[in-house]
Amino acid sequence: MSMYQNGDVDPAVRALEVRQDEIMRKLYELKAAVEGLAKTVTTPDADLDVTVSSSLSSQSSSCDIFKATKNLDALLGKDLGALRDIVINANPAQPPLTLLVLHNLLCQHYRVLSTVHVHSSVSSVPPQLLSCLGPKHADSYARHMFQLGFTLIWKNVPKLEMKFSVRNMCPIEGEANVARFLFKLLAPYPSDPAVATLVDSWVDTAFYQLADGSAKERAAVLRALDSALGRGPWLCGTEFSLADIACYCCLSQNGSTSATAANVQRWIKSCENLGHFGPAKLLLK
Amino acid sequence: MTKEEANGATEEEQQAQSKKALKKQQKEAEKAAKKAEKQAKLAAEQQSADEDDFAKDRYGVSAMVQSQQKPDRALVRVEDLTPQKVDQLIWLRARVHTSRAKGKQCFLVLRQQQFNVQALVAVGDRASKQMVKFAANITKESIVDVEAMVRKVEQKIESCSQQDVELHIERIFVISQAEPRLPLQLEDAVRPDGDGEEEGRATVNQDTRLDNRVIDLRLPKTTTSQAIFRLQSGVCQLFRDTLTKKGFVEIQTPKIISAASEGGANVFTVSYFKSSAYLAQSPQLYKQMCICADFDKVFCVGPVFRAEDSNTHRHLTEFVGLDIEMAFNYHYHEVIDSITDTMVQIFKGLRDNFQTEIQTVSKQFPSEPFKFLEPTLRLEYTEALAMLREAGVEMGDEDDLSTPNEKLLGRLVKEKYDTDFYVLDKYPLAVRPFYTMPDPNNPKYSNSYDMFMRGEEILSGAQRVHDPQLLTERALHHQIDLEKIKSYIDSFRYGAPPHGGGGIGLERVCMLYLGLHNVRQTSMFPRDPKRLTP
Repeated sequence: MSMYQNGDVDPAVRALEVRQDEIMRKLYELKAAVEGLAKTVTTPDADLDVTVSSSLSSQSSSCDIFKATKNLDALLGKDLGALRDIVINANPAQPPLTLLVLHNLLCQHYRVLSTVHVHSSVSSVPPQLLSCLGPKHADSYARHMFQLGFTLIWKNVPKLEMKFSVRNMCPIEGEANVARFLFKLLAPYPSDPAVATLVDSWVDTAFYQLADGSAKERAAVLRALDSALGRGPWLCGTEFSLADIACYCCLSQNGSTSATAANVQRWIKSCENLGHFGPAKLLLK
Repeated sequence: MTKEEANGATEEEQQAQSKKALKKQQKEAEKAAKKAEKQAKLAAEQQSADEDDFAKDRYGVSAMVQSQQKPDRALVRVEDLTPQKVDQLIWLRARVHTSRAKGKQCFLVLRQQQFNVQALVAVGDRASKQMVKFAANITKESIVDVEAMVRKVEQKIESCSQQDVELHIERIFVISQAEPRLPLQLEDAVRPDGDGEEEGRATVNQDTRLDNRVIDLRLPKTTTSQAIFRLQSGVCQLFRDTLTKKGFVEIQTPKIISAASEGGANVFTVSYFKSSAYLAQSPQLYKQMCICADFDKVFCVGPVFRAEDSNTHRHLTEFVGLDIEMAFNYHYHEVIDSITDTMVQIFKGLRDNFQTEIQTVSKQFPSEPFKFLEPTLRLEYTEALAMLREAGVEMGDEDDLSTPNEKLLGRLVKEKYDTDFYVLDKYPLAVRPFYTMPDPNNPKYSNSYDMFMRGEEILSGAQRVHDPQLLTERALHHQIDLEKIKSYIDSFRYGAPPHGGGGIGLERVCMLYLGLHNVRQTSMFPRDPKRLTP
């Protein structure tokens, strides 16, 4: 080592480093180009939006979007010194898989007090539905220690509904709308209105056509899914979003995860690799 | 002169009078004769009629049942009169609810508790004219024995509980005759709430009902009271069954006690030989002593006395208390879970087994069905405060809930969670009795809880202090004379397990479960500051 005591490096090593840097730079360029291309295809006017391309280049991995610490006061309004309890009334005939997935994600980011109740309008509920929010939290005897309450009530309701702040909000009806609300507690919607609308539109497609639609409609959605997934790793481009959660859950609810199209197959695998869908899958068995 | 004149005048007058009197007498005699004649004629007719009456031994007033005979006769219950019994000849004992004669027929409605059936006596080969007349004249509420043929009806009888059949009476005997005038009109008493005002008809007010409780309890047609007290019996039975299954032991505690258990203000004093004693406000002390005596889990059903001079819709001076006390392992929520589960089992039992009674009551007193969650919703006091503040109520952190705030909170909870039953946990220590265990994390709060039904408190409970030293401290803090509660504190000196419990008022539970408005409706013979009879 005495040969290079002035801080000099072996020229060969330096050349190697330079070459590596060059390769990395080229790779980044390539990646950015591909991403830009994907963006133009999925959203025709993406090139007009500078913020999107800059956010894309910031290289967030799909899971990182949830990592940002959220200020519940900013999201849900002033803290009144008590538990913010989200009440969800769901019919045991149609367990809301999406919401269970979102609950799981919420638990990873907030201290959530989860409770399951059975309303007197329902006489019996299968045991797996009673334990669908996982084991009881060790601190559940002290409600004030939690940031967020997630109260799932199995009730004889025609439509799933959510009640949060009964003074200021009307009850929110429909699993899709509740899912949108819960997801916003985890991550902001894409700032690009086009992408945000795309997410919303996929959520609608999932609930109206995949979950409730005829076989014909489902086949059409599967084709649309396949082509969308041909353009990017997730339904709305490079980021895992509510669109993916909703479509995945509605697909599995119909037992059609053994879909044919290759892109859909790959996407299903990626979804499952994320590990967010554990609680929902337990219910399907 | 004047005297004579006067005399003469009077004589004349007398004469005239006597003439008049004579005429009068004659007329009266004639009248009497005519009357006698008429009566004789009537009697003769009657006699001839009686002689003609082929059905003479098929009706009448029977001799008083003094247990002279033991006939082998099965009496069918009205509720069992279903189409399966068609064309059978049956015997039946029931009250005459109404009777309506119509030429050669007489329709009766026979009632047995909350069930009733239409019956018919018609002139024919079984019944005579006289028998129909007799049936029509039986006073309302009399008890009769009837032999009748069950017949199917073409059209449903809407006014009766047994709609598919009617009875063709072959024999009818009065077992107990009711006086013709009833102290209250049954039709008025059963009219649903609010209807009377609209139609300008009379309603029977609460006090009149209570003054004639025996008749009121029968309340025909809808027989609301019958249903209420059957349901109340159900509450008691479900309470016992559930707790017994959980391993609780039923105990009986004295009601005459030497010292007031919770503050001396509202106790009844009774003279006890040469000294005085009190009527127990709750079996609190004895329940806790049983825990110290290793009974582990106890409950007690019995009368409880409160000498509060409050005339409200929900206060009685004597009511039936359902009391629970249990030792727990580590956390008093074990007690809450046990009590709420018991309540839920009661609600479920009522929902599943007392639907007829619930519907009977709701016909007269309409209310929404009772809703609850399983497991029961538990909120903390601070959460309740936040909910109330959001609704614009200004309240201090350590203030007790006022009755209006209690009701408002009930409405808010119902709106969000759609439950009529919930637990409010962690009350401020300042508003609870001295034996309440303070919260270890925040000395401002306590390990105590209230349970609410339809926004009204039905149970107040807590973890009790089982440590004699802390108990003494708390008693001193509340400025209680230690001498008076010495025996109570002493019972914890020789090893006492941590324990908690609570007491429920049976009448209140029934009232609130059924959505009634006055606790006197669910007390059979209510006692309040103004009522000691019947």
